[in-house]
Amino acid sequence: MLKLEWTVPTLRELQHAFAGALTGAGVALDIPETMTPRLEIYANTRRASLRQALGLTFPAVRALVGDEFFGLMAGDFAATTPPASAYLNDYGTELPRFVRSYAPATSIGYLADVAELEWAVSRACHAPDAPRLDPGELSELDPVDLARVMFIAHPSVAIVRLAYPADQIWRAVLEQDQAAMRAIDLAAGPVHLLVERDAEEQVQVRRLTPDAWEFTRRLLAGEPLFHALAAGRGFAHGIEPATASAQTTLAEHLSVRRFIGCRLAITQGEQGP
Amino acid sequence: MSLTNGPALTSRPIPAQAGIGLRFAHHQAVIATRPQVAFLEVHAENYFGGGVTRRCLEQVRRDYPLSLHGVGLSIGTDGPLDAGHLARLAELVRDFEPALVSEHLSWSVSAGEYLADLLPLPMTEEALDVVCCHVEQTQQALGRHILLENPSAYVRFEHSPIPEWEFLAATAKRTGCRLLCDINNIFVSAHNLEVDPNRYIDALQPALIEELHLAGHALRTLANGRQIRIDNHGSSVSPAVWALYERALRHLGPKPTLIEWDTDIPPLSILVQEAQQAERYLRRAEAGVDRADAA
Repeated sequence: MLKLEWTVPTLRELQHAFAGALTGAGVALDIPETMTPRLEIYANTRRASLRQALGLTFPAVRALVGDEFFGLMAGDFAATTPPASAYLNDYGTELPRFVRSYAPATSIGYLADVAELEWAVSRACHAPDAPRLDPGELSELDPVDLARVMFIAHPSVAIVRLAYPADQIWRAVLEQDQAAMRAIDLAAGPVHLLVERDAEEQVQVRRLTPDAWEFTRRLLAGEPLFHALAAGRGFAHGIEPATASAQTTLAEHLSVRRFIGCRLAITQGEQGP
Repeated sequence: MSLTNGPALTSRPIPAQAGIGLRFAHHQAVIATRPQVAFLEVHAENYFGGGVTRRCLEQVRRDYPLSLHGVGLSIGTDGPLDAGHLARLAELVRDFEPALVSEHLSWSVSAGEYLADLLPLPMTEEALDVVCCHVEQTQQALGRHILLENPSAYVRFEHSPIPEWEFLAATAKRTGCRLLCDINNIFVSAHNLEVDPNRYIDALQPALIEELHLAGHALRTLANGRQIRIDNHGSSVSPAVWALYERALRHLGPKPTLIEWDTDIPPLSILVQEAQQAERYLRRAEAGVDRADAA
């Protein structure tokens, strides 16, 4: 083999190699053997920081699988999906999907659903502040314009539909309530959840009816009100034929100030016959 | 934001007294008991979001001068700074008007991956150019000067010709930044790299130093039998570090001093006691300066 003359690596080369040594992605550094345990100090700090960050974001998942398993899973997750940013509250968006296909965890069918809920809870907790829409502002609109309103939700608001009653599991685990845990019916069917940080800064997880959830989903996707009201019901005449469920849901969204603003759709889109 | 609804917020300078690092575990205790410390320092990244944590910072900010300590900007990475990270930091600085803003002479990002530790830089002209460029970019984005902190180290690069204190002084000279001198880090690095910590302290330029850090560290024995000091901020300040601090104060004069504690966080009262201990050293140093002035 050709022995190359030793040259000083550039900073970029050195950082790339050092990063590889820390993450186990390949060691290109010429490291004296005595240095290996020292590099391991940095690698340990990295592992512990990521494990801790994920553990704070997914406390119920960690409690369900135990610290040791969670640490291994966090390590495997970090190997495939390392953080792109130093703001570690943003780290973990792909964890629910990772858990869903993580072979060692398949025996806990609901684990990924709990992870998905916890990610929404974490988002709600850390979402930026935003001044909320005063519902009084809408009373100034005429009814035709009201139908064209597209709402902008508070950045903490999310909706999640899960196959398992992850909200009950999540609460029972965090409250260490064994009786509640035993009472959960895993086969009860899907849950339709709304997660938010309310106007008092408290994170809330609420169940919605499937209709209210679908209506809310459309509003959060930025659909004009009359689209969201009419969708799936054969109605296309604006606000009038709205179901009681949707009107009640909208009234609640407005009264608890889940929106931070609204715009008017430029056209009404599809018109009725 | 609600800050503007509270009492007028002025960017009070931090006196040459002792403060503590505020972590989530002590939010409520600090708000409830308002301990007698000169200032609070927080990790900037912990407040990038909104909600309850931000409300807490707004509340303590009304009662204490604030120092924002960044741990994730990765000033030393050869590559672009994370623009989103810098923008969030700038927003925090705008909203909270901290008296001090600091970051580390280290790197944490390579090829877009965050490595979740403060990693060592080779002290070369090339690294100096990278660091100065990023410090300038940061100061421009924040509209103010920052402090740069010496990290703790466990390895040294073969090609690292510039002493760290010279590297930091050169950065300050070229960018107008100032320095945060971590006494514990000097002690830990000096032990691990087998150099003299006193030499580092004596080489510091007093006018460049705007803050000092103190913290505890741990002693571990490696597989090869070599003892190494780990900068884990998990205990009280060691006697050797207090001694080095005393030497630093004699050389630098009194400077704002922070007690950091990040793992195995004790009750707030223990942190306040550590700050009071630093305060005693500061008052002695002040008396020393007065005597020197009178002479």
